[in-house]
Amino acid sequence: MVTEFDAIYYDGKTSARMAVHARTAGSVLLISGANVNLEVPFAEISVDAGISGVRRTLSLPGGAQLQTDDHAAVDTLFPHVNRLERGVHKLERYWGYAFGAVLVVTLFSWWGLTYGLPTTAKFVARVMPARIETLIGEQTLHAIDKSFCNPSALDAARQNRLRQDLAMVTAGLNDHYTYQLELRRCRGAGPNAFALPGGTIVMTDALAKLAENDQQITAVLAHEVGHVRHQHGLRLALQGAGGAALITALAGDAVSITGIAVMLPTLLLNTGYSREFETEADTYAFKRLKEIGSSPKYFAEILQRLEAAHAAEEQTANKDQHDKSGHSIAFDYLSTHPATAERIQRALAAQ
Amino acid sequence: METSSEGAGAHPEADSQRRYPVEFTAKTGEYFRIWIVNLALTILTLGIYSAWAKVRKKRYFYGHTRIDGEGFEYRANPVAILKGRIIAVGLFAIYSLTENFQPILHLALAFVLTVAIPWLIVRSLAFNAYNSAYRNIRFHFRGRYGEIIKTLFWYGLLTVLTLGLLYPYMKSRLARFIMGNHHYGETKFEVGNLARRYYGIYLKGLVLLVPTLIFMGIVIAMGMPLFKISKAGAVIFVVLVLYGSLLPLFAYGQSRINNLLWNSTTVGTLRFESRLRARDLMGLYFTNIIAIICTLALATPWAVVRTMRYRARKMTMVSTAALDNFIAAESAQVSATGEEIGEMFDIDIGW
Repeated sequence: MVTEFDAIYYDGKTSARMAVHARTAGSVLLISGANVNLEVPFAEISVDAGISGVRRTLSLPGGAQLQTDDHAAVDTLFPHVNRLERGVHKLERYWGYAFGAVLVVTLFSWWGLTYGLPTTAKFVARVMPARIETLIGEQTLHAIDKSFCNPSALDAARQNRLRQDLAMVTAGLNDHYTYQLELRRCRGAGPNAFALPGGTIVMTDALAKLAENDQQITAVLAHEVGHVRHQHGLRLALQGAGGAALITALAGDAVSITGIAVMLPTLLLNTGYSREFETEADTYAFKRLKEIGSSPKYFAEILQRLEAAHAAEEQTANKDQHDKSGHSIAFDYLSTHPATAERIQRALAAQ
Repeated sequence: METSSEGAGAHPEADSQRRYPVEFTAKTGEYFRIWIVNLALTILTLGIYSAWAKVRKKRYFYGHTRIDGEGFEYRANPVAILKGRIIAVGLFAIYSLTENFQPILHLALAFVLTVAIPWLIVRSLAFNAYNSAYRNIRFHFRGRYGEIIKTLFWYGLLTVLTLGLLYPYMKSRLARFIMGNHHYGETKFEVGNLARRYYGIYLKGLVLLVPTLIFMGIVIAMGMPLFKISKAGAVIFVVLVLYGSLLPLFAYGQSRINNLLWNSTTVGTLRFESRLRARDLMGLYFTNIIAIICTLALATPWAVVRTMRYRARKMTMVSTAALDNFIAAESAQVSATGEEIGEMFDIDIGW
């Protein structure tokens, strides 16, 4: 059977375009045009893989080329080349396969964000040497001190008392963390506490003043110790990086200012993850409080006080619009936490 | 399409000029299927397919970018790209892992990588050029290391010393280095003097920055009450405002620089007319971002295709002679200069 097709011939030496006609004769391809008359054995021709709407290229010996839009003829002539990409091209041509691909990508993204990424981050955090964790914690504290926190104004006795509270919470914990309490006055952070990787817990003076008794402080500290033991800080950072990478892989193509465009979904993602972590840290706190002979009820109490303080602060802020001294977004005790009422309920139920 | 209406003063040979609009024939649906199949296969092969995905994507866009009816060709071998990616990932892993374990090794690596940046830029440009062809004539990139080292490090240093005064000059040198060292076959890309007009663009950008910052400040200040309602919502608001207000500036810079570069370039008998408009780009990018966010990235192919279509539509090639007379570079010389080494590192550098 003779296969014929029209093509354009380029000799590979100049950009001159020559219209030619190609036709098979046994195991050779006959190429004829105004200034071209060639006989090329099939064995010496290599063909590129098909792509929708893109001209096929047949590379001839010596760097010459045939280009043709006749995909069918090329496929008939060279049925066995580029098996892999031929299969791929078939997938690319039909909406049915495209829909299947959408499913694969969607499922993977969903699985990756809800399970794969958190699990990987958890694993990486666990195998990461303690030294590194401590180092990251130290660097974070350094950054906090530089940007928005000042040394505590509490007197030495009070500070010692708070440190004893932490010592009590962590007594007998058989982990490799060196727990220490750092007290700070932080602009815009309000009554707040946060755990850094490696065991450092930062508490604001405002929170220390808000608590009515040591038990309430202990409850907050137990929650933060939960964060440390579950390596939440580290895992959040790892998950954020992984999520940003995933989003860049999906949409990075289209977006020239990728950085900013990726920031937004990553942020939402982290908010979701951190809610989960809060619940995890709460659960640890309830357990630990009972172990040290205290009660989750104090956790409920301090939460109630925090919420009341938050509401009061909001009222004053609304009254006096000018008195908003740069609110910190990342560390507010309440914003990223699950609904406070729900947490109070859980604490009371855990008694 | 013959035109002889060009200003006779600027182009004395206007009579024999022929204008070739750049055509872009990609279709959103077609590219969507290629894109989603690429993603799905990349996921299913644990990333290995990404090299093939890149080649198929580039072949699709190159083939659908046509001048005088002839499309461009992208010829890179996916295996070469895969090797480059494995090396890049390996280097990155070593680089990040040594950060805390082996600070000295890390510093040494950082130094080596910094020194290697000019080499990487040149190699990746050479790789990309060598694997691009039009009418079976390859492009080449023949930039000298000495020149880019001087531009990046020496003028980089001078930029710092002059408090940024030399920045537009450095950028113009870099752009000229990249554009002006490309060859189509044997024909060099000639780029006119850019420095003065680079200063013009940057100066106007600086002037535009003032109202931009004022606008940003006012809108963010107006949105402050949002912080009381939802911190996450407020952060999204701030990100959107930042993005929205910097977008005009970005679109301005991109369109002007792009136009300037192409309009100052000649390749033998060819010159180019680029007519990108800042407000068009702004509209495109803005709607792209919104669409991508609203469709959870599914609109990415649509965004990519329409942006490329717009860019092609605003680009015209003008030739004073037939396009048949470009000569390929000696192929022996190409393989001897070791441009294949560039295949090890597949990095896309834009300007």
